[in-house]
Amino acid sequence: MLRSSLYIAVLTLFLMSCESIKTAVFDQYAYQEAISIKVESLNLMDEAVASYSEHEDDVQTLLLDLQKILEYEKNKPNNEVSFAMWQVVTDKERNLLAGFLERWKVDSQLSNVFIGEAKGQVTQALDLIIKYEANKNKTNETNILNFLSTN
Amino acid sequence: MDIEELIKLLKEELLVVLGESYGEYKKETKADIEAFLTLSKVKLERWTNLLQSGELTVEDYEWLLVSQKDLLILNALHQAGVSKLRLGHLKNKIIKTIVNTVITVVI
Repeated sequence: MLRSSLYIAVLTLFLMSCESIKTAVFDQYAYQEAISIKVESLNLMDEAVASYSEHEDDVQTLLLDLQKILEYEKNKPNNEVSFAMWQVVTDKERNLLAGFLERWKVDSQLSNVFIGEAKGQVTQALDLIIKYEANKNKTNETNILNFLSTN
Repeated sequence: MDIEELIKLLKEELLVVLGESYGEYKKETKADIEAFLTLSKVKLERWTNLLQSGELTVEDYEWLLVSQKDLLILNALHQAGVSKLRLGHLKNKIIKTIVNTVITVVI
């Protein structure tokens, strides 16, 4: 009796400690949206050699998409890391995607060389978000394989 | 700007960010950060050359430097998240072992 109580107590404490490392599971929608935003963003960045006013509608559409994914990630449970990563990319005060669009708006048009270098930075940023989401999938797969091999 | 000095500054800022929010994962991510800083060095050298040749303006150059700092922050978040996933996986295995042991011994 004492032994079983001890096991249950240890198990309860252990399960409680797991709360802090819970992570949202792989999300196909979030993964596809991230890829779609990456493609749209890089194509639009190429247009920054032209006047901002010519592409203002396209920029607003992209900013709306960014707002939507940010809100989506924010409301998923145990999803702090993905949400924080999207916050960095969509922050106009930082120099990644939203920061690039803001600079285009302020400067009206940007040079080809600068756009090329900035695109490299934005590509790396969005790839990190995509890779992180894909990694959740890998972890799920490993868990399923482990479960199948032990049952 | 001296490239080595810039790398040092970036490293300091990154360690502050890690210390504030992800201190518990610092050990796991240190090697990845070192590798990332090596990649930054190549970019910083290229941007400095483009600045010297007049292909980038001072504003462009500053913008890109800050973007690299932001990318480092993003990379730190990614590494912390991956460490968290690994820990979660490890704990899942431990839970399964405990449950199996309890079932075998108690029931």
